[in-house]
Amino acid sequence: MATNKTLLIIEREYMSRVKKKSFIVMTLLGPVIIALFYGLIIYFSIQGVTDTSNKIAVVNDNKTITERLKSTKNTQYEYVSKPIEDMKKSVKTSGYDYILYIPEFPLDKPEGIQLLGEKQAGLSLSGKVSDHIEEMIRNQKLKESGLKQTDLDNLKSSVDISTKKINETGADEDSSAGASTIIAYVAGILMFMFIMLYGIQVMRGVIEEKTSRIIEVMISSVKPFQLMLGKIVGIALVGLTQFVLWIVLTFAISTAVVKIFVSDKDMKQTTMVQNDGSSVSTPAAAQDNPIGDIQKSMANLNVGKIVVVFLFFFIGGYLFYSALYAAIGSAVDNETETQQFMMPVMMPLFLGYALSLSVVTNDPYGSIAFWLSMIPFTSPIAMMVRLPYGVPDWQLALSMFILVAGFIGTVWVASKIYRVGILMYGKKTNFKEMVKWFTYKN
Amino acid sequence: MLSVRNIVKQYASHRALDEVSLEVPEGKIFGLLGPNGAGKTSLIRIITQITGPDSGEVFFNGQRLNANHIAQIGYLPEERGLYKKMEIGEQVLYLAKLKGLSTPEATKRIKYWFEKLEMQDWWNKKVEDLSKGMQQKVQFVATVLHQPELIILDEPFSGFDPVNADIIKNEILELNKKGATFIFSTHRMESVEELCDHIALIHHSKKILDGSVGDIKSTYRSNTYWVEYEGQYNLNQADPIFAVLDTHQLGNTTRIKIQLRPGQTANQVLIALLPHVSIHRLDEVIPTMNDIFIDKVKNVN
Repeated sequence: MATNKTLLIIEREYMSRVKKKSFIVMTLLGPVIIALFYGLIIYFSIQGVTDTSNKIAVVNDNKTITERLKSTKNTQYEYVSKPIEDMKKSVKTSGYDYILYIPEFPLDKPEGIQLLGEKQAGLSLSGKVSDHIEEMIRNQKLKESGLKQTDLDNLKSSVDISTKKINETGADEDSSAGASTIIAYVAGILMFMFIMLYGIQVMRGVIEEKTSRIIEVMISSVKPFQLMLGKIVGIALVGLTQFVLWIVLTFAISTAVVKIFVSDKDMKQTTMVQNDGSSVSTPAAAQDNPIGDIQKSMANLNVGKIVVVFLFFFIGGYLFYSALYAAIGSAVDNETETQQFMMPVMMPLFLGYALSLSVVTNDPYGSIAFWLSMIPFTSPIAMMVRLPYGVPDWQLALSMFILVAGFIGTVWVASKIYRVGILMYGKKTNFKEMVKWFTYKN
Repeated sequence: MLSVRNIVKQYASHRALDEVSLEVPEGKIFGLLGPNGAGKTSLIRIITQITGPDSGEVFFNGQRLNANHIAQIGYLPEERGLYKKMEIGEQVLYLAKLKGLSTPEATKRIKYWFEKLEMQDWWNKKVEDLSKGMQQKVQFVATVLHQPELIILDEPFSGFDPVNADIIKNEILELNKKGATFIFSTHRMESVEELCDHIALIHHSKKILDGSVGDIKSTYRSNTYWVEYEGQYNLNQADPIFAVLDTHQLGNTTRIKIQLRPGQTANQVLIALLPHVSIHRLDEVIPTMNDIFIDKVKNVN
């Protein structure tokens, strides 16, 4: 009988949300947005980030420099022989975006270089130009010390470090810090989003029942605890439904998007690298095809494990927080009053999120990372961020255990506040009041 | 049928119910009266098992109140509402199932009630599209749908227009005739006079009066009458039959309020008056529940 009622409540909470237009739209749109994101990342990593290209007139008054600035794709240098004063006057009509003025200076003390234009040059452009000038001066110096052009070309080298993790059997696994970081970020953001979105839905649901005054009718039929639990579980199922649909749809759409963005040639390269999995990819190959490299590493990450652990920590973290949200919802009369209570509940979640994406990704095995992934307030996010880098099983198990204990605790605390709060109308509640409710006999 | 014994309910700093006892007889309409904040809602919440008492007991048909009785009680709270986004039919069905009805049985009964109250075409409407009065009809149906033995209505007529209030009143009387017991919490005294057989008055967390409406009224009779007549009669404060409490002159008509002296009757008054004046009217002043309510509450204050 009692479980029957809880089931009825779960059913209503679930069905009434899944049938909503906003749910259907978000479920369909979410993966499209994610896939677009994914597509853009791939696109840019293949194409390079295309800035606006700049045409720069170079006025070189420095007789000691015979080397010339080399144009790149987005910065084209054209040497002009007009004096700088004339160039300045005709800046609007000349067709150049900027004028680079290189005055007379000794090679070891380059001073007075100016980049002039109608608009002030941005940080990235001036950085690039100064890099180019530094390279030019270095080449000038090297030449003066007697090196030939061929020697200069030989000096160039491009380095790509391939990071590997050694597994239990001593064999090294291909992995890349890049791939792990991407997975860590995505998992962390998803976890944060899901807990926030669905936790707040619980709170809204409770407030809705309170403001629409149905609550008293409801709890003359069911126990407050059943109502709270039914709501929390029902909304959790909505979250899981959305998550599963997202995964399926994202996978389908991403496959399509990758086909569109990555040309056939790129695809072949990718497959080649993947087929060639056992060998160490050469720096050149990695550079030409970063996506192939990342995809290969992703294949080595245990995606199944990540998904399962994600689901566990989502449910755990969600239960942990949603119980607190339910308690907040029960204590207020409308959403605007939730502010003072939201702060202390949101803070640990935000903190966990911010620290996870900075400290934990930088040092996934450090003690801060360890503790963040143990404390149940932050562990759902921190553990997801750590997971792609590899986490010892005992730590994972301990963190899961603490989280389960944590949510049993918050559900218990919340139910005590909830049963009193839902029947309180028109009274401003504060924390002192809530503590008092906690001690009420039922 | 319902026996409330020595209930005490304490909230942090104030006592909502102080040793309240009352008996609700089977098949009657029982009025639970009292000013705002007297403790009526606290008592109802204990009867509906929303909260528990700190001490004292409630018996339902001789059994200690327990979770099995939830299905036998229907409760229409004063603070009532519905899920705004849900369709009416679906919503009433949900509430009925929470009371333990099966889907087909609940559907059948909802159809019956919707037809009876002329709301057949509301099934697929959303609550937010209904007027307040319409919503209250829905709530009333949800309250009585599971055929509870005890129906508790908290201010059931507030927000109803006279037509709908009348419809609901008739439904209450019909259900009562079929055997349902009602507890009726209100401060609208005219509906108490019309509907209630018994009342209990709660004030400052204590029960200060209870009994059948007839008995209570007769204990409040004070041998006071209104007399209206045309003609001249010498009103004398020393009159041996009655004392004059109040006089009004309306044209040729005189209206007086009198109180009989001990041992006298209304007939005596007529005998004294008839030779002198022509009588238009003689009414006994029977205290209304409103008067009793105000009198009792003021006395306690």
